[in-house]
Formats: sequence, C-alpha cells, structure tokens
Amino acid sequence: MALAEGRTTTRIRKHGSIAEALGGFRLWWLVLPAFLFFLVFFIAPVMSLFALAFDKPVAGVVSFAGNLTLDNFARIFTRPLYYLAIVRSVGIAAVVAVIALAIGYPLAYVIAKTEHPGRNTLLMILVLSSMQLDTVIRMYGLMVLMGDQGLINGALMSIGLIEKPLPLMYNTFGVVVGLVQIALPFMILSLIGIIKAIHPSLEEAARSLGATRAEAFWRVTLPLSMPGILAGSLLVFALSVSSYVVPALMGGWKVMVLPIHIYQQIAETGRWQFGSAVAVVLFATSLMAVFIYHKAAVRSAGGRT
Amino acid sequence: MMREESAIPLVFKVIAGFALVVLLLPLVIVVLAGLNAGDYLTFPPQGLSLRWVKSFLSSPVFLSAYFYSFLLALCATLISTVVGTLAALYLARSSSKTSGAMRGFFMLPIVLPGVVLGLALYVFFTTTDIGLARTFPGLLICHVLVTCPFVIATVTASLVGFDISLEEAARSLGASPWTAFRKITLRIIAPGISAGCIFAFIVSFGQFETTLFLAVPNHEPLPMAMYISLRYKFEPTAAAAGIFAIALVVISTIVTSRLVSLRRVFKA
Amino acid sequence: MKSTSKGILSTRRGFLKGSAAGALALGTGVNLFNINHAWSQDVTYDGAVFDGGGATLRIAEWGGFWQEIMRKELLDQFEKDFNCKIAYESSFPWFPKFVAGGPQKPPFALVNWNYGEMFKTASAGDFFTPLDEVVANLPNAKLIWPFATENGVGVTWSYSRYCYAYRTDLVDPKPANFKSFWEEKFAGKRGAYITSNGLQMDFFIAACKLFGKDQYDLEAGYEAMRKAMPMKISDFTGNMQTLLERGEVELAVQHDAEVYQQMDKGIKVAPMLWEEVKPILTQTKTVSRYIEPMEKKLAYALLNRTLETKLQSVMGSTFYQRPVNKDVVITENLASKGVTNTADSVAGYWTPDWKSYNENEEDIVETVNGIFAG
Repeated sequence: MALAEGRTTTRIRKHGSIAEALGGFRLWWLVLPAFLFFLVFFIAPVMSLFALAFDKPVAGVVSFAGNLTLDNFARIFTRPLYYLAIVRSVGIAAVVAVIALAIGYPLAYVIAKTEHPGRNTLLMILVLSSMQLDTVIRMYGLMVLMGDQGLINGALMSIGLIEKPLPLMYNTFGVVVGLVQIALPFMILSLIGIIKAIHPSLEEAARSLGATRAEAFWRVTLPLSMPGILAGSLLVFALSVSSYVVPALMGGWKVMVLPIHIYQQIAETGRWQFGSAVAVVLFATSLMAVFIYHKAAVRSAGGRT
Repeated sequence: MMREESAIPLVFKVIAGFALVVLLLPLVIVVLAGLNAGDYLTFPPQGLSLRWVKSFLSSPVFLSAYFYSFLLALCATLISTVVGTLAALYLARSSSKTSGAMRGFFMLPIVLPGVVLGLALYVFFTTTDIGLARTFPGLLICHVLVTCPFVIATVTASLVGFDISLEEAARSLGASPWTAFRKITLRIIAPGISAGCIFAFIVSFGQFETTLFLAVPNHEPLPMAMYISLRYKFEPTAAAAGIFAIALVVISTIVTSRLVSLRRVFKA
Repeated sequence: MKSTSKGILSTRRGFLKGSAAGALALGTGVNLFNINHAWSQDVTYDGAVFDGGGATLRIAEWGGFWQEIMRKELLDQFEKDFNCKIAYESSFPWFPKFVAGGPQKPPFALVNWNYGEMFKTASAGDFFTPLDEVVANLPNAKLIWPFATENGVGVTWSYSRYCYAYRTDLVDPKPANFKSFWEEKFAGKRGAYITSNGLQMDFFIAACKLFGKDQYDLEAGYEAMRKAMPMKISDFTGNMQTLLERGEVELAVQHDAEVYQQMDKGIKVAPMLWEEVKPILTQTKTVSRYIEPMEKKLAYALLNRTLETKLQSVMGSTFYQRPVNKDVVITENLASKGVTNTADSVAGYWTPDWKSYNENEEDIVETVNGIFAG
C-alpha cells in the first residue's frame, strides 16, 4: 500500500493541492528505483564492457588495458561481412516489425472486440501458449514445416505444384518468418489493451457522420491505436534486432546478422574487444533507428504518442 | 455482444486467422513430437504415447529446472511490475523533456543481445567482488533488467492520452486521492499492467542467452536444460517439457479469467 | 575476495608450521601468486576415501541428460563417500568465466572440456594444475591409455571418433574416404558446422592437412570449404541429427557416438570413420591451479573415480562413448558396431595443433563465415 500511497501523493503534488502536507513527494521519485537500478546494473556493467571496444583486440583479456585504438571499428566498417550485417540486421528487424503489425493488428482487434468471455479466454490462451514455448524447440517446429524436406515442400511436391523444394529457409525469408513467429505475440499483446480502450461510440459517431466503415477505422480507430502500435513495433524491433537463436537456426549461417558475430566473438572465440565493438555498433544503430521511427511516428500521429 | 463481434470486418477475421496459424502451427508440431511414441524427436510422430511426458516428470534435471525457472520468473515479474509501473506513471505524466529520453533509456536492455548483457553483468559481478556472480540474486537482477522494459512499454502506452482531469474531477466530487487513483487511473492502466506482467513472466521463463553466464550452480533454468538436451541428444523430452510450459500458461490464463469473472459476480 | 584472503591466512599458517621453502618465499616478499602455488603443491591424493568435512567441490560439465547420468552414476555416491557437496554448473562456455576472474579466482575446480576451448583457456593464463602433478595424484592413471594424457593440459577420460554420418537409404555407394564429402552428388545435401563448433574445427584442420601441404595450410582449408558449398550449416550436433533424420542432409560431419545412438534408435544412418587422419572428440578434465587444498584433493579424488571401469562402462552403454581405461570391456551396444578397446585400435589418434589454430582463429572464423554466408 505504501507504493500506492506514493503514487497518489505524487499526483496531488503535481496538481498542487495538499501535497506539501503529505511529505513533499515529487513526481520523479516514482522513476527513481527503476532509474537507479538501471544505472548500477545496466549502464555501469555495459559501459565498462563497451570500453573494451576501444582497446586493442587480444583473445581472452577482459580488463580494459588502455591501448586506445579504433582498429575494431575500422575492421567492422571496412569488411563487407560486418558492415553488410549492420544493414541486414536493421532491415530484417524493420521488415519483421511491419509484418508483425500487419498481421498482428487484425488479430489484436478481433481479440479486443470479442466480448464472449470463453472465446476471449481461448484466444488469449492461444496467443500466450505460442509465446511460452521455448524458442529453440519452436524453431524446430518451424524447421519441420519449412525445410527442404519439410511439410510445406512435401505437400506441394506431392500434389505436383513444384518439382524442386522451394527455398523457404536457410535464407533471409526463413529468418523473417522465424522472427515474426517469435515477435508476433508481443505486438498483439501491446495492441489489445489499447484497442479495447477505444470507445466504440467514437467509431459509431464517425459512421453516423457519413464515414464508411473503412474510413471510420482509418480515421478514428487506427490513429487512436497509435500508442500501442508504437510500443508494439518498438518491442518487436528490439527483440528481432538482438536475436541470435533465430538467425542461427533458420538462416543456416547464410544470414549473417550482428548478434551472430557478437555471439561468436564473445561466447566462442573470446575476442571481447571486437565483440564489444560489434555490440556498440548494433546498439548505436538500433538507437538511431528507434529514434528516427519515434520521430516519424510522433509526426504521423500528430503528436499523439 | 453479438453485434460487437459481427462488427469485425471480414478481412480482419481472415488475417487474424492467418496470424493464428503462424503462431500455432509450430506449436502443434512440437506438442505432437512431445507425444511421440518413438525413440527420437521426429515429425510426424511414430504413434502417440505419454512416454516422453513421463520421462520429463521422472527427470530430476528437467523437473527441478521447470520449478526453478517458475520461481525465478515469478520473482522477476513481481519486481519488474512494481518498479516498471512506477516508472511508467512518471514517464506518462512528466511534462519534462527528459522523460522522452528516459523512455528510450529503459528500452535499452532488450536492444542488446542477451549474451552481451550476460557477459557484462558477469564481468561486473566478478571484478567488483560483490558476491553476485552465479547466485540467485545476480540472475534475478539480470531478469529484472530484461523484463522491466516490457512493463514500462505497455503501461506507458496504456497511459498515453489519459486525461488527468478525470481523476481531478473524481477528487473534486469528494473522492480521496487513493480512491480517485484506484477507481480511475488504476482501472485504465490495468490492461497495460497485466500485459506487462505476462510479458515479464514469459520473457523471464524463456530467458536463455543471458543465463549462459549467470546461471547458478546446481540450478539449471529450463531453457538451459532444454537447449543442452537438444544440443546433444535430440530427444522428445525437451518437447514434452514444452507441453508443460504451455500448460502453465493455459492454467494461469484460465485461473485469472475465472478470478476476473468471479470478481464481477461478487460485485453484482 | 573472501576466499582469497582466507587463502593467505591459512597459507601463512602453513608456512609458519615449518616449510623452509615457504618461509624463504615469504621472506623474499614473493606475492600471493607464488605463495598459493607453493601451498597447493602440498596436496596429494593416494586413492583412498577421505572425509571432505562438508567442503564444496565446484565442477563444470554438460547439463541435461549428461548431468542426470553423472549425478546418478558418480556424483551422488561421491558426495556420500567423501562427505562433500558438489556444485554442478552446466552453463557453457567455460572459457569466458575463467578469464573474467583471472587464474587466482577460478570459477570451478574440476572442468570437463572439448579440446579447442581447453587449449584456448590454457594459453590465456596459468589456470590449470600442471598435468604431471595431476597425473601423479591419480592412482588410476596407470590404468589408462597413454594418449589420454598426451595433450599436455588435461586428462582425457572418455572420447569418440570423428567421422561422417550418412543416410544408408539415400547414399549409394557409401562414402569411401575423407574426400567423398566433396562429391558432386552431395551438393546442398552435405552438412558441416559453424566455426565455433569443435567438430568443424577438427574437420577444417583435417581438410587443411589432406588438401594442402600440412595442417597449417589454411588456404587449402578455405578452398576446400569453398568447394563444399552449397552445404547445410548447423550450429550443434543435435540439430544435425534432425537434419539427417529428415533427409535434409545425407552426409554430415559427425562423431561416431552420435551415429551409433541414432542407429540404435532406428534411424537409417551409418558412420564412415576417417582413416587418413584419426582425430577424436574428447571429454577432457582439468584441475584448476589456485584453489583451496581440500577442494583440490576432492577434485583429484573425483577425477580418479571418473577413470574407474564402472563409470567408463556406463559412458559406453548410455552415451556410446569409448573408454580410456585399458581394462574396460566394451559394452554390447558399442561392440556390435565394431568398437574395440585394444592397443591397436587406439593407436594413431591425431591431435591437431590447437595452439596454432587458436592463434589463427580470428582469420579462420572470419574467412569461413564469409564462405558459408556465400
């Protein structure tokens, strides 16, 4: 209850009534626990690891030696194996976010508008179950479907539609499908609450003013869903851009993205300076992408995010 | 009620159906593979049996891993939900310019591949000698870091556009601050909090890459046990373990929805 | 810091009790590093059961089923016999955990490795008790084949042979030798691994040796990988098993223990053991150097027990692993595949020059990644 008390007092303070009497809580006190926690256990450790990126690469050395160099970055930006991976990582994550939105929104909409409790629970269970299953084993399921000898190719070949198996995996397509499969529930759950909160009367009002159903959706419901779309696509982007398991399994090592390089350098070869440098690049690129997206989204939503 | 559902455009229903297929097909395959009667992980299964389910239930490694992951996810969810919701209340309401940057700041842990975060924390714990390396609290810290962003994102989203004057109106009508908060704000952010909770639990339960460096001796989390078993022996036990992970979600969803409807009954 | 400072204290006490060499070392102001070293040499083990006084032995070994079998067949009994607790860690890789803490703060006392990572760790610092010293404290070491300690770093206690696995129903005629992998008919149907997988490392070095002048001929290895494309790349053996089982791959780099297991599960595969070079996939254990004396003694005792015929047979019957103990009678599941345990059969195993591989790893990883990515 103490926490709730804190919240309440804060609000009072902000809206200037009896706050002083209740002990001078300030709004930012709310964010303090999270902020400090992140500062100590995220920023400090990650920044000290990132410092390694500016150090001379030596296998198996973890402490910052102070041999300042930009060699690691020079290596990344001069070799196509790495700089193409930057483009590929961001591109794939962006495509995944778009696809997840395109097929996730309708499902979230259906769930939000299904008021029958049993049916609603069932739909929720279906979405949540798919999330809960371990990633590696889920990728096994996808490989059974999409492999050269998989169910899809097998079915198409047996009815004579194709002669040779379609290249469904061991390529970018397979990685995108895998990531969509993983990230879709995050999009859906980010949207359900927001869509539910949009009052049906708003859409009805638009229609009574002569808008078609599609127009009403496009002009009213969709803009009002923007916060959920923004949150969902950011989560999906972040999950996709940092995924190692999915590109490793679905890409068959043909789709080299940054997390694969990072994983290899850090967990296997022990060249942490170079691994950190790749991580710094991934981090910076993702932040930039998120920033640009955020700006664009704010503009398109007319400031409403 | 029926009016609402018939209001869903057909094209949405079709795409929603497709989305469900994408989500569930791999699931069906894994579940069937877990019920395989044969000796190895394969599809289609060579007959159905509970053989591997039994093997999961009688395996000290898998079963204890399952409960360990459950406990870990529970703790991480509790902490993340409280800390994250508080932070989100600030983020959504603060007019200060830093709150935008702060919002991005809290998303950082999930942009970073798990292996980087795991290593960073491991080196940090080891070099600072604060006794957290490969302990439960150390692992929990990492899980809070990777689950908190989800809570913050969903709760912040649910507060966007929330009109603070609603609460003020309630207060001016004589409601106490706490009541105003509970009846107005909490009700509005409830879906955000519950989505955040679900994310946090599931992300923690399935956390694998960060765990590589932070796992506690004698306590293998479930994704680790599954990965290692898949890595060395492609046995259906891992698929059977997946069935239990799904069961967890099914049961908890049904229980919560029952609770919600019970509450409704109670109120009525 | 706790354990280290305790180390100093008990170390000093030990010296004061009368080790002349130790007193000299202290007198001349030798650092903690050497003091600890002198102390740890005092640990000897003669093969008898002793009271561990509830001490903890930190080990690192594979998880899942491996852990289950180890607990059941070895560790539970060991804890009872020696009155100790075993802290079992299964979250690989071990190398980063060792280097993160430095030699004086090893995360584990007794560690199970495959060669590549072990050699990498060994060259990154003074982490392990010298092999001679370890062997001197293992009464059972006289029962094992010489190759088990020839690597110079750790004690190999179990192993399997590298080979190809091929689908007996899809491949005809069967592969004849190492170079069969490159036959045209296997294009897109052959399987190898990512560079961080030990099987790929051995396969690559073998390719350097057999296609080039010697094992150091990296260019020949790269050319061989290029010629092997298109092929399917897997990150671990379990995944390769499913690729083989589903027919996505018809011929794959494997080690024979996996192939025998698959055969007995009814999958139509067979091994083709390489005879041109005979690399082995080993399970090799090291004892960390700077650890508490009791823990080190327990590590010796556990390692000694690992070499006994009983556990070696269990490894054969459950994981299809070959024994290093000369006295082990090969279990039926392996004997039926033609595996024997004689001086002749273990002769000629080849260990690549891992030091050289690790020195060139950066280039190898980058180049081979580039080849695989196409």
